[in-house]
Amino acid sequence: MNTPFPRRRLAGTALATGAAAILLAGCTAAGPSTSEAPAVELPFGPTTPAASGPVDSVTWMLPSEPATFDFDIDSGAAENTVFANVCERLMAVQPDLTTVPHLAESAEWVDDTRVVFTIRDGVTFHDGSPMTAADVLWSMQRHAAEGADESDEYANVVSMEQTGEREITVTMAQRDAIFIQAMAGNGGMVLNPRVVEAQGDAFGSPGTPDACTGPYTLGEWKPGSSLTIERAADYWDDSREVLAGEVVFRWADQSAVVNALTAGEADGSYLDSPASAIPLQQVSDVSLAQGPSTNAWVLLATERGPLADERIRQALSLAIDRSGITTAAFGGLAQPWKTPIGQGAWGYETEAFQAAYDELEGAPASPDAADLERAKALVAEAGAPDEPILVASDGGSVRNVVSNALVAAAKQIGLDAEIVTVPSAQYGDFYSDEAVRGQADLFSDEYYISKNDPVGFYKNGASTATVNFVGFSDPDYDALVKEAFAATDDAERAELAIELQRRWVEATPWISIAQSPSTVALRAELTGVPASAAYLYYPWAADLGTTEG
Amino acid sequence: MTTTATGALLRRDGLARRRDPLYAVSLAFLGLVVLVAAFAPLLAPYPPDAIDFTAIWGSPSPAHLLGTDQLGRDLFSRLLLGTRESLIGPLALLAGATVIGVAIGLVAAWNGGWVDVLLARITDVMFAFPGLLFVVLVIAVFGKGPWTAVVALALAYAPVIAKFTRSIALSELARPYVDAYRVQGASAVHIAVRRVLPNMTPALLGYLVVLFGEGLMSLATLSYLGFGAQPPSSEWGLMVQEGQDGIVLGHFAPTLVPGLAIAAVVVAVNIVGVRLSERLGARA
Repeated sequence: MNTPFPRRRLAGTALATGAAAILLAGCTAAGPSTSEAPAVELPFGPTTPAASGPVDSVTWMLPSEPATFDFDIDSGAAENTVFANVCERLMAVQPDLTTVPHLAESAEWVDDTRVVFTIRDGVTFHDGSPMTAADVLWSMQRHAAEGADESDEYANVVSMEQTGEREITVTMAQRDAIFIQAMAGNGGMVLNPRVVEAQGDAFGSPGTPDACTGPYTLGEWKPGSSLTIERAADYWDDSREVLAGEVVFRWADQSAVVNALTAGEADGSYLDSPASAIPLQQVSDVSLAQGPSTNAWVLLATERGPLADERIRQALSLAIDRSGITTAAFGGLAQPWKTPIGQGAWGYETEAFQAAYDELEGAPASPDAADLERAKALVAEAGAPDEPILVASDGGSVRNVVSNALVAAAKQIGLDAEIVTVPSAQYGDFYSDEAVRGQADLFSDEYYISKNDPVGFYKNGASTATVNFVGFSDPDYDALVKEAFAATDDAERAELAIELQRRWVEATPWISIAQSPSTVALRAELTGVPASAAYLYYPWAADLGTTEG
Repeated sequence: MTTTATGALLRRDGLARRRDPLYAVSLAFLGLVVLVAAFAPLLAPYPPDAIDFTAIWGSPSPAHLLGTDQLGRDLFSRLLLGTRESLIGPLALLAGATVIGVAIGLVAAWNGGWVDVLLARITDVMFAFPGLLFVVLVIAVFGKGPWTAVVALALAYAPVIAKFTRSIALSELARPYVDAYRVQGASAVHIAVRRVLPNMTPALLGYLVVLFGEGLMSLATLSYLGFGAQPPSSEWGLMVQEGQDGIVLGHFAPTLVPGLAIAAVVVAVNIVGVRLSERLGARA
């Protein structure tokens, strides 16, 4: 009988295995552990240094392929990173995360419930047609329609109408102090109705044209391969210098993004995780920078059951090791955080927010013995749930660390917890599908808001909020949300936001873990883009150029 | 002449004496792995899921012989404890697949005619269905977890074993001793189960040993993809998946250690399986 596995090959394989084992021991022994390595420090600020000259073409890496550019269907980091350059909004986010009027020349409250947007003259869509107030109204009504992804921004809107040739008046049920800021997000995006209606249901998919006014137009989108945006030939804003000629987007997981940047096959990327910056620090041809963001990693509690009692949530929040998580998952490039939004959201009254943040309790960076005792007492008082607490992970680096840390924290305070793995493709359905939420009591995610106002986030704790899955209900909290939305005075609004923040952290509908700064990697000869999270809404490619003219 | 499997194995006089160092080394290695699996809780210096955030991505040291992973868990302890799940899974799936596959193969070979044709077509259909897709479908219906993966893979492996069983059963049934038992009035079940099956065992055994390696790889693959063992299990496929983020950071051990463990066991199992098939098959 012939041997299907020849002896020589078997011997070779065995030798290769042994050799690999020896090699492994050598490789591993050479590197210091992260805990021994010096702390990583990167330049931190709203932008990278300004560019000196234009660049013809760059290749930019995304964490995933955009799913659509119809933002009323869905949007995420990949979609926003690309179309921040193509589409524009009534208001515009700046690299320092402040907002300024843009397609709207001005936005003013004319009385307690009405805000008037004066539409900028001379703006044209990419098909050459002028942008009118009617187009703006049509866009706003599309965003506000029931089921649209941005409809929550219009929750207080009673009516919208064109009240002049270049004037839109929005009437609210009550004064909404952050509505104007919200118009710097996707809810304020102005679309060309003629293009959208001509495409019908296909609008937003590969092969269809964009319907926007931005400094770049959508070029070729090869599904599964690449997407190109090109400098708009007749961009309406002559005063705006547009440096990069075209940007070719490709997508890959973070390992491949790091490899592409290391090998010089990509020119830049906003990194999905700050931890990816660590290996890139060793690459001489790559520069790195971090900037403020509203991003925070959180564990969202679902309505499944065991976490309905806030004492169990509080106990877990007291016991989880945030400091350990930031070291393990982010290489120290993120910070343990007590609230569900990052520091970038403090767009006003910064000192007041900082002082209030410092006083918050119940979310220690590293739990000490007293924290654990308090957590155990809360569990004893509430009674441990009959079934294990299920925490979801998709196997990704950060979620793996967070879920394991949660299980370890639960174990320390006498709770039983298990990890359930949910495919990455299904993970986003936690927000929209109750059946998916039925698989876990907690799911971790990186949450961010487009507005630099904490009130824009804390509305999520209202009893009617769509992401208040665990059913946190406090009539006083609901009243405070309304009050905060009506407060146009910054100091007054900050005071209300701080009280909302305190109540949120106390009730812990979500368990806050870490704030995650925005991190950008660029080929050394390129510069100019924002380092802050503004890249999700700001046309960053227009600022991307060379370090030498 | 008839004989039983155990007897056949014991009487293969050349088996023990033939010089084959690779076979001997592989057998010794597998024996060691089994011992490690049996005594893992006593050998492991740390609980496999003990997180230590002060020691993440640690290099090998006296405290952590193979270093630590991204959660500061001791890789050596995880490797040792992972041996259990990594070996028990393939064993369980092969047990299930063998019961189903051998039954189908024997029935098809014994009955012939339309029963044989029907069973052959059923197994052909199962063969035509991509294995991984079938397993993922089963998991989608019954939920994720190590035992769902084992059951799904057992169902996927059963047709393979059925085909093999049928082919060797057909040649065994053609031997004179089967007719002799029939003439004596022995029942079909008695002849098939008590006489034919034991004589097929040596050939089956070698084949199953090779399949064990495949089963280990398949289960590790499912765990790697998130369908099998769930964190914080230290099953080797899951360890590879969890450790892979370290590669971009220059920490190779959390992925390579379990990866090499899988490779070493599969290579050793294949060597043993092939040698067993070669020797027992040639003498059957």
